[in-house]
Amino acid sequence: MPEPSVFHSRTAQLCTSHRWKDWGGYYAVCSYDMSPEPEYQAFRHSAGLIDVSPLFKYEIAGPDAAAFLSRLTVKDATKLRVGRVTYLCWCDDDGKVIDDGTLSRLGEEHFRLTAAEPSLHWLASVSRGFRVTIEDSSARLGTLALQGPESRRILERVTDVDLAALKFFRVAAGTLAGVPVWISRTGYTGDLGYEIWVGRDGAERVYDAITEAGRGHGLLPAGLDALDVARIEAGFVMNGVDYFSAHHCLTESRKSSPFELGLGWTVQLDRGPFVGQAALAREKQRGPRRAFVGLDVSWAQLEEVFARYGLPPELSLHAWRDGRPVYDGEERWIGQATSGAWSPTLKKNLALALLPAGHAATGTPVRCEVTAEYRRHTVAARVVKPPFFDPERKRA
Amino acid sequence: MGKRYDAIVVGGGHNGLICAAYLAKAGRDVLVLEKRDLLGGAAATEELYPGFHFSTCSYVVSLFRPSILRELQLARHGMQLLPLETSFTPLAGDPGLCRWPDPQRSRREISRFSARDAEVYPEFSLAMTKMAQLARSIVDAPAPDPTSWNPRELARLLRLGNQLRRGGAEVMDLNLKLLTMSAVDFLERWFESDVLKAPMAVSGIIGTYLGVRSPGTAYVLLHHYMGEIDGAFRSWGYSKGGTGGVSLACARAAESHGAEIRTGAAVERVLVDNGRARGVVLAGGDELSARTVVSSCDPRLTFLGLVGARHFDESFVAAIERYKLRGSSGKVNLAVDRLPEFFGREGTAHLRGDIAIAPGIDYLERAYDEAKYGDFSKRPYINVVIPSLLDPSVAPPGKHIISMFVQYAPYHLAEGAEHWPEKREAFGDAVVDTLAEYCPGLEESILFRHVLTPWDLEKEYGLSEGNIFQGELSLDQLLFQRPAAGWSRYRTPVRNLWTCGSGTHPGGGIMGASGQLAAAALLESGEL
Amino acid sequence: MSDFDVIVIGGGTNGLTAAAYAAKRGRRTLLLERRDVLGGLAAGEEFHPEHRTDGVLHDTAGVRAWVARELNLERHGLVRRAEEPPVLLPATNGPGLELWRDPARTAAELAATSPTDGAAYGRHREFLARAAPVLSRFTDHAPPDLHAPGLGDLLQLGRSALGLRLLGKREMMELLRVVPLSLDDWLGEQFETPLLEAGLAAPALHHTYSGPRSPHGAASLLFAECTAGAPVAGGPRALVRALEAAARARGVEVRAGAAVERLLGESGRITGVRLRGGEEITAGAVAASCDPKHLFLDLVPAAMMPRNFERAATAYRARGTAAKVHLALAAYPDLPCRPGAQPAAIRIGEDLETLEHAFDAVKYRRFSERPILDVRVPTLESPDLAPEGHHVFSVLVHYVPYDLEGGWTDAQRENLLHRVLARLRLYLPGIQDAILGHELLTPVDLETRYGVTGGHLHHGEQALDQRLVRPFLGCARYATPFPGLYLCGSGAHPGGGLTCVPGALAAREICR
Repeated sequence: MPEPSVFHSRTAQLCTSHRWKDWGGYYAVCSYDMSPEPEYQAFRHSAGLIDVSPLFKYEIAGPDAAAFLSRLTVKDATKLRVGRVTYLCWCDDDGKVIDDGTLSRLGEEHFRLTAAEPSLHWLASVSRGFRVTIEDSSARLGTLALQGPESRRILERVTDVDLAALKFFRVAAGTLAGVPVWISRTGYTGDLGYEIWVGRDGAERVYDAITEAGRGHGLLPAGLDALDVARIEAGFVMNGVDYFSAHHCLTESRKSSPFELGLGWTVQLDRGPFVGQAALAREKQRGPRRAFVGLDVSWAQLEEVFARYGLPPELSLHAWRDGRPVYDGEERWIGQATSGAWSPTLKKNLALALLPAGHAATGTPVRCEVTAEYRRHTVAARVVKPPFFDPERKRA
Repeated sequence: MGKRYDAIVVGGGHNGLICAAYLAKAGRDVLVLEKRDLLGGAAATEELYPGFHFSTCSYVVSLFRPSILRELQLARHGMQLLPLETSFTPLAGDPGLCRWPDPQRSRREISRFSARDAEVYPEFSLAMTKMAQLARSIVDAPAPDPTSWNPRELARLLRLGNQLRRGGAEVMDLNLKLLTMSAVDFLERWFESDVLKAPMAVSGIIGTYLGVRSPGTAYVLLHHYMGEIDGAFRSWGYSKGGTGGVSLACARAAESHGAEIRTGAAVERVLVDNGRARGVVLAGGDELSARTVVSSCDPRLTFLGLVGARHFDESFVAAIERYKLRGSSGKVNLAVDRLPEFFGREGTAHLRGDIAIAPGIDYLERAYDEAKYGDFSKRPYINVVIPSLLDPSVAPPGKHIISMFVQYAPYHLAEGAEHWPEKREAFGDAVVDTLAEYCPGLEESILFRHVLTPWDLEKEYGLSEGNIFQGELSLDQLLFQRPAAGWSRYRTPVRNLWTCGSGTHPGGGIMGASGQLAAAALLESGEL
Repeated sequence: MSDFDVIVIGGGTNGLTAAAYAAKRGRRTLLLERRDVLGGLAAGEEFHPEHRTDGVLHDTAGVRAWVARELNLERHGLVRRAEEPPVLLPATNGPGLELWRDPARTAAELAATSPTDGAAYGRHREFLARAAPVLSRFTDHAPPDLHAPGLGDLLQLGRSALGLRLLGKREMMELLRVVPLSLDDWLGEQFETPLLEAGLAAPALHHTYSGPRSPHGAASLLFAECTAGAPVAGGPRALVRALEAAARARGVEVRAGAAVERLLGESGRITGVRLRGGEEITAGAVAASCDPKHLFLDLVPAAMMPRNFERAATAYRARGTAAKVHLALAAYPDLPCRPGAQPAAIRIGEDLETLEHAFDAVKYRRFSERPILDVRVPTLESPDLAPEGHHVFSVLVHYVPYDLEGGWTDAQRENLLHRVLARLRLYLPGIQDAILGHELLTPVDLETRYGVTGGHLHHGEQALDQRLVRPFLGCARYATPFPGLYLCGSGAHPGGGLTCVPGALAAREICR
């Protein structure tokens, strides 16, 4: 049975839909209302507040903390300056992705790493020979994501952190409603947004203060369903949906490398040894076999397929995660779309897909499977480079 | 002498009945003879106390081949398996460890003892699932014979070798480790917590005269994961109506195809003329004739008891005499007027699976050490199942059955196996006392107690030396060497005499594979 | 340009062998030994004024003739004894038993008590003789490569399989049946004399973390007995001397007192060593005869270790179960069971149950109440080890845990020594009065002095899995995941003991 997060007393009160799911062993709201759409709209037009506490968090401290993280992950953490955050992934010996997350440098010798899955053992096993301590802070820290165009103005009202100075992918310590917090300018919606990291004791006060400050700014509590649509628009991969941790794959073909997942930009090869280095170097030289792409599914053809049965195209307000086959022009199977959604903002059917390198160039025509009136069809789609939606305000 | 059957199956346990059902299904005229008045052999349900229906011996169904269930339509004949989903390891004065079907919940439980183990647990399952895919192909077919020059056998060996090779070096290496390492050494490659290792390791010693640190015990760890990939159900299940439910369903299936089944018909010996079996003699002296005799009894009873050593050559007799039976376990069944209460656990969810009294590796080793020198363990490993919680039909409302598999209870006591009857109750006391350490008040709740020692298993159920698997599942007695090198294909040195019990490949547990594969081999041979 | 072609770490018998082979193939070779004396576990030491042992490991019967031949060890002073001296299995209620490899002489010993065992022993030796060529095909060649079975590997596998198959169906079945058996089961099938069973079982149990009832004991016995030959005259000391002479004669540079602190690595490759004190020496190849755990977990830079490989190294089992006791004696004490006899080898362990009880203790991190002793008296053959008339007893004591409950305190050491002496007094009542001095080396002492992880004298347990893929996947053919680094010690195939085989086979791989 899942456990309540540190914000549960608040979220439970607000979740009138009773739509919950298990996220990493915690209760997480799918949507507070029966429909996730208002919450999605809040992310894009006002602000949404989402409890992301189930993310796993690790505090890595000690004189070798930076060196250790450079060995663990694909990035050189020694180059990360204090007060900065970076997105990265980490791999096994064969250069296959285990997990991805953000790394914040909170002090010269103090980092915080987030992960989608429990990783303490893996971190500890890589740390042999380094002077570091690794603490699992997942249970003692709550995390709220405040995302959307209004998020800065809401937050400004309750925190002493200088948000004007807090640039994209920066982190700063301060107080919020008198409670000590860390605020980072990060998020999973691809929009302007912040994440607030707070200890268990002050968690509810922080939640209440933000909710109070959000009145008049259109702030809504938001659930995972709305987040899923937003993150697909933003082109973010998700562990367990778009790829599977190398630790959980029964077959090699299920594993993926950072290059295949479009995370090649995070891989810094030319430096001291790190886990997976040799395999990644080989792969880079050879070129990845697959690539992670966005698909823009033809609306016209979709309409046409449904029209044959006298139906309008079915639109769902929920993203789908149940992998669908992708074919080439000759209807030969080439790969799979791993998740997708109707984008209310772009008015398009979007999907994220893993395709062979030969079919990954932007503009490549492919075909996606759709089911209309219990029958399978394919419709045309075009390969595009994610993100699908990338507003200026995210970085401004 | 009356009618001549196509086949007489000796023993109405689940393997005998399955074999008979397949033979009857293929149109053969089959007779099953069971010594007891009740079918099922070691897989029987008995009302030992008014209103309480005990699975006297075998109490859980593990790895029952789903293909048998489908082919013999056993569901139609009343077989229903209920999964045992949780594994609970109580500790004294601590809520202990319960593993649940919900992986997050298991993770939290395990991390009370080791955060590291909690994370490694799913990785271990993954590695074992990979191995189990390989092992399953061995269980579902006759044992490969590495000594044969027959091209078909060589091709089969090559295929197996190739399958291994395709898995890569890691799979080959892990296979080697599984086959040779001790359960504890193998588990220690992944885990550090005793409370997790101990209940996992015990699956490697069930029915053996070995300890969890004895080399070769790691292999059985796979069995758990083989169930997972079978798809049909989990590896451990409980049969509705008790384990006898499995046997009865098999019997009904056999009868539906025209097989004849007689209970209370003890076979005294197998008739052999000129090296050919031609029938059996019953205890009363009646002779029954058949083209083929199939024995589901253990190899010692079959060859040295029912047939007689004089019909075999010296080396075969030596091999059967050497065949290790050495029963090491007993059974204690309780009828109780309320559910046992364990420290720090409320509700009944943790009681609906199997409960292992295995609080640590040293505990299990000490239990083994006592048995090595010829005594039962004063603090044994106990596997507890409360079937009445899953299946209320086996006990009166509100009352319960506690079924306890206990190891070690060595057949060979230091003072001699024949002293078991006078030690029976002391053994029962030790078991109840042990469990009571984890659930105070147990004694007061007991309405009835039934103790089964290896001696009883031999005398009452015909299992030589009380071995529940009709022979140890050790590397030297598995695959092509079960029961004797060269005789793993259900055929025997006596023509028209076949075997189909647990003492043949793949053996052990309520799996049914021996009966199924024996029937297939017999039909394929063209001798029937 | 590297300073050397090959650096060999460790100057034990395998290190010396590897160095001599490498030099023989024309490689510029440097041998580094941490201690001031060469020989490692085969080095003789003065443990009491004027009393020396001839090595912690004292059995040289496993040294292969083909290594001696290829290295011309005879020319460097190596002499094989014509026959192996018997081992005395003493008793308190009779003459005990003199155990010979020669079946006739053992049968003669058994004639009075059990003629059937005499005959059974003959059959036992015959079986070993037939199994020997099959087993040595495995032990005396580099093992097949599991990773990428090449043509040569397949050929070799085929040969092994064929060898096995050509044994004849019955023999092959028998070998396959026997290998996984426990010694209790296998010897119990063959013999009725408890002393004989224990005498045969004890050496097969050494360094395995198992007892007579543990499965696979028969495999250990087969491997040990099928590869044994005549011992080296003069014992381990003479072997080390000959190997050193052979190595030096071929130009190996030998540096004692040179401890390797860590290996030098560059983009995944091992390029040399760094000595304690800071000196760095480069080489095209580094061959390490130290144990695999020490090599991979201490010497190889942590950052270079692949995760799975590190996991395998961590999981490799090297739980020492033996201690060593050295006694300086003013005279050879009387043996009441054989008045007047002065055997060179005595094995104390009365029956399999005693052995089993002795093993039980170590599982609970205690030492045996009644330990099993393997006694050698090197002064009979090499009187120069002690003053005239004096003797040295070299005693291997089983079972003694590395991780003793409560740690190795002085009181516990005293207690262990007391138990060993009590066992000796039982058969040599006068021994106490003859003792001039002693030395006790617990597994922890052995680790400290000889650098063997866990105090394991064979560089890792010889359990079936660690014997067949030794030490573990990724480095089971001497090469390691790091180009330029090789294993050449007892932790490599075919394993521990004074055999020189790992050193010789590793050198072949290095010089390919």
